[in-house]
Amino acid sequence: MTSIQRSPGQPEHASSEPARPGQALPRRTVLATGAVAATTVTAAGAALASSPARAADGTADRAGGTNTLGKREHRVFQHGVASGDPLPEAVLLWTRVTPTPEATPGSGRGGPVTVRWEVARDARFRKVVSSGRFRTSAARDHTVKLDAKGLRPETEYHYRFTALGQRSPVGRLRTAPGERATPRNLRFGVVSCSNLEAGFFTPYRALAARQDLHAILHLGDYLYEYPTGGYGMGQDNVVVRPHDPPHEMVSLEDYRRRHASYKLDPDLQALHARYSWILTWDDHEVTNDQWKAGAENHDESEGDYKKRRARAHRAYDEWMPVRMDGTARLDDGARLYRRLRFGDLAEISMLDLRTYRDEQAALPGVDATVSDPSRSITGKKQMAWLKESLTRGDHAPQWKVIGNPVMIAPVTFGDLPNDLIDPINDVTGILPADGAPYNVDQWDGYTADRREVLGHIRDHQVKDVLFVTGDIHSGWACELPLDTSTQPLYGDSYGVEFVCSSVTSNNLKDITGVPQASPLVETAILANNRHIKYLDFDSHGFSVLDITAARAQMDWYVIGDRADADTPITWSVSYETRAGTGRVTAVDTPLEG
Amino acid sequence: MCTCGDVRHGPEVRERRLAELRASRRTVLTAASGLAFSSAVAATAGSAAAGEAGRVKGAEDLRCYVLVVDGCRPDEIDSGLTPNLRALREQGMYWPRATSMPVMETIPNHVMMMTGVRPDRSGVPANAIYDRELGEVRTMDLPSDIKVPTVIERLNRRGLTTGTVLSKEYLVGIFGERATHRWEPELYIPVSEHAPDLLTYNALTSMVDELDPHLVFVNLGDIDRVGHTDITGTTLRVMRQAALLQTDTLVGQFIDSLKSSGRWEKSIVIVLADHSMDWSVPTNVISLQAPLEADPLLEGKFVIGDNGGADLVYWTGPARERERAIVRIREIAESTPGVLKAWDRRAPWLRLGPEAGDVVVFCQAGWRFSDPDPVTSNPIPGNHGHPATRAIPFFIGGGHPVVKAGKVSPKHARTVDVAPTIADFFGLRTGKRAYDGKSRL
Repeated sequence: MTSIQRSPGQPEHASSEPARPGQALPRRTVLATGAVAATTVTAAGAALASSPARAADGTADRAGGTNTLGKREHRVFQHGVASGDPLPEAVLLWTRVTPTPEATPGSGRGGPVTVRWEVARDARFRKVVSSGRFRTSAARDHTVKLDAKGLRPETEYHYRFTALGQRSPVGRLRTAPGERATPRNLRFGVVSCSNLEAGFFTPYRALAARQDLHAILHLGDYLYEYPTGGYGMGQDNVVVRPHDPPHEMVSLEDYRRRHASYKLDPDLQALHARYSWILTWDDHEVTNDQWKAGAENHDESEGDYKKRRARAHRAYDEWMPVRMDGTARLDDGARLYRRLRFGDLAEISMLDLRTYRDEQAALPGVDATVSDPSRSITGKKQMAWLKESLTRGDHAPQWKVIGNPVMIAPVTFGDLPNDLIDPINDVTGILPADGAPYNVDQWDGYTADRREVLGHIRDHQVKDVLFVTGDIHSGWACELPLDTSTQPLYGDSYGVEFVCSSVTSNNLKDITGVPQASPLVETAILANNRHIKYLDFDSHGFSVLDITAARAQMDWYVIGDRADADTPITWSVSYETRAGTGRVTAVDTPLEG
Repeated sequence: MCTCGDVRHGPEVRERRLAELRASRRTVLTAASGLAFSSAVAATAGSAAAGEAGRVKGAEDLRCYVLVVDGCRPDEIDSGLTPNLRALREQGMYWPRATSMPVMETIPNHVMMMTGVRPDRSGVPANAIYDRELGEVRTMDLPSDIKVPTVIERLNRRGLTTGTVLSKEYLVGIFGERATHRWEPELYIPVSEHAPDLLTYNALTSMVDELDPHLVFVNLGDIDRVGHTDITGTTLRVMRQAALLQTDTLVGQFIDSLKSSGRWEKSIVIVLADHSMDWSVPTNVISLQAPLEADPLLEGKFVIGDNGGADLVYWTGPARERERAIVRIREIAESTPGVLKAWDRRAPWLRLGPEAGDVVVFCQAGWRFSDPDPVTSNPIPGNHGHPATRAIPFFIGGGHPVVKAGKVSPKHARTVDVAPTIADFFGLRTGKRAYDGKSRL
């Protein structure tokens, strides 16, 4: 994401008075007082970061906390369970153990622990199909990450961990269909940009309550690096729940602690436990607007950038249910771009558009750098890999889904009110002050790469390419022309892009404070970009993507007040692309659950 | 030169072709419609005369019609210009991921449809090849060019009757006397060298009404041909839209006739294209003749078979220099603007066989080859043969219960799947390796 809103004069490392451990207050009671200051911290949020996790259904202690004798004791599995990167016969399992109260994340304390894991066909674990032991220690922050193998394709399983006399919550997973299978459909929850300080993860709660999904796609900005109050809710950066640590994450301990604080969120825990996730990162998993050798939010006082990034990647590998460099092992590489196949119906190629990219072009103003063919957003190796994903011979699946951290559809502009340009940029980074037609942090800032990808699609007449995107804190449905000027006439479109909104991170109205301005902006953008069929600058929420051989449909759901843990969830719109067309059309009703 | 409408062969080839025709046994039937069909002698007495021993139980009541909408892009079925084709697709079984196979030209893909095997087995990799024996570039329009039995012959041997209604002269040539009943157009439109769809449609309905073959293989050429007849490109879009409308109307009428005649319930109708279509602009022309000729190693020791979107380059020099030459040809080709990729013909995925030469060069979308002459060899903008023309419509309609209405499959359907699908429908036993394609039933 391009930019953030900081209150004037607000210190970089603003902190607040967190609630004491165990001070569990009803969240809604506290939040009823409203957000009052840039660094306001709700007591409930503070409690959340340090108290036992609350289950998604509202009951306490679902995550465990009792030993085999039924006696309350120190909780070994505080951070929930997760699974990820489903294959037909293997799924990655994750948890973190806290062997002693002192062995807090990032602390380096606590001895080695042997953790038993089990995968079963039934919730009571009478039909265990795969099990084993995993040795973890402080060297890996007591995280557990392994590939459970020997599973059957397209099958639901339950899994759990046991250590130090305690059992973890039970998670559920679903393996991918076999390589040549033809599943009737695939259905994914789609999310991005989940800023803990900006609100409750209601979209996660909503997705966890659904029973019709196969996996979750998270398109980046899973967590944020800022200090408490550095990037909160709305114009005043209200802190709905505080980050831990309270300062910007820079050291390995910081990154570990920040991951841990997110993993304490009950809605996040519920969604991780309910479905396997497929994730990629955007910039905030390291720091804002990162590129291959630096970042906007990094300076010399924070040390060598690449060392910082290595620490961020290390913590990510420890704490996230992803196969980096194709394995569950640590220390074997940080390659996150990877393919996951779902039979003959679809393949998801998750991109890493931060680690190999050249530096963003300067802002503001027209900068010819954006079309310099020597610059890349993917890097050469990943570009070759992406092109291979699109044209993999006779046995490639029908739908080529690209998990895309930043938007690829071109966005051009006519006249927009000057006083709206800066707020739009704060959210999207789309508009330089002179209205030049690109966002230099997304594919619009690397037009040679975009042309190479879309040209490759055109040269090989690849059909059913679907980019699923996050980052921009707004909902979009777009066709993908090579030439926006002729697209209305000839209708050339080489794919489709569906962009999900943010879970909680600020959008346009949050920053302008003027909700009535957003329709004006949306209308102007739609009028100047005929290939963009839908745009919602003002909502937070999630999407549900359903893929069949006949079409791919995305539903956009929006939430109400981010600061209300029980805020309502509403279906907003649905769009589909019919197979073979590269076109986007509105659909009247959402998917049936 | 794009060889879609350009039939080229020297005196020796003509002589061979005449000999093949003289050797065949045939008769000419004049249908009530006034159209003339050539039919195999044995078949005129009725299908019962042939292959009684091999008859497949129940096959006698089945009908299969393969309609090749030549050069149709799959998105054109969704354009609103083809309501009948779209309805047939939506009420039948549909494969959105469907492609033509290299080289994405008319003749090799029609041959793949009827043989079910790739060119390294069928012997037909392209429209135009350099015939090393004859020492010239020629169109593959001889019956003997196909090296393996077609599904047409397999059905004939089982006592079933077959028909070909092919709008293009070279297709009539290469499928020759194989079908029990053949329509051989007496009129071809100059330049495009094809019979208009209205005539083809009349031939189809007459053949079905009066001879009622179990299998009819049809090529509808209008949609493809408008891409080739307007060398200025200025009227292309309008002409293409008109052709789509016209062809779609005829398909609709044919389906109606199947229903009204009672054939629908025992029929499947396979609709596909042989390749897609791309359009180049006058400035986007590639000619490899000059840059290859300028290389000392290659000078005077190569020949190019131009296939519109693909050049086949043949090394004619000493065998000991072949490997070096292949490297050089690929290097020069890939440094030429507009070239997408130059493949060693032996690349496993191509499966083109030695008839395709030594190097296969594909152009990018929006380009075309014109070899050997950069101006006169291929002046037309409509183009195919390259990967940008792979995607095709592919669906199966019909009233037979084997057609599962509304089924959409993510499987990759290919032109090479047609023969095994037909064989499957008629219950022909097929060995595991008999076909490179797969039945889509």
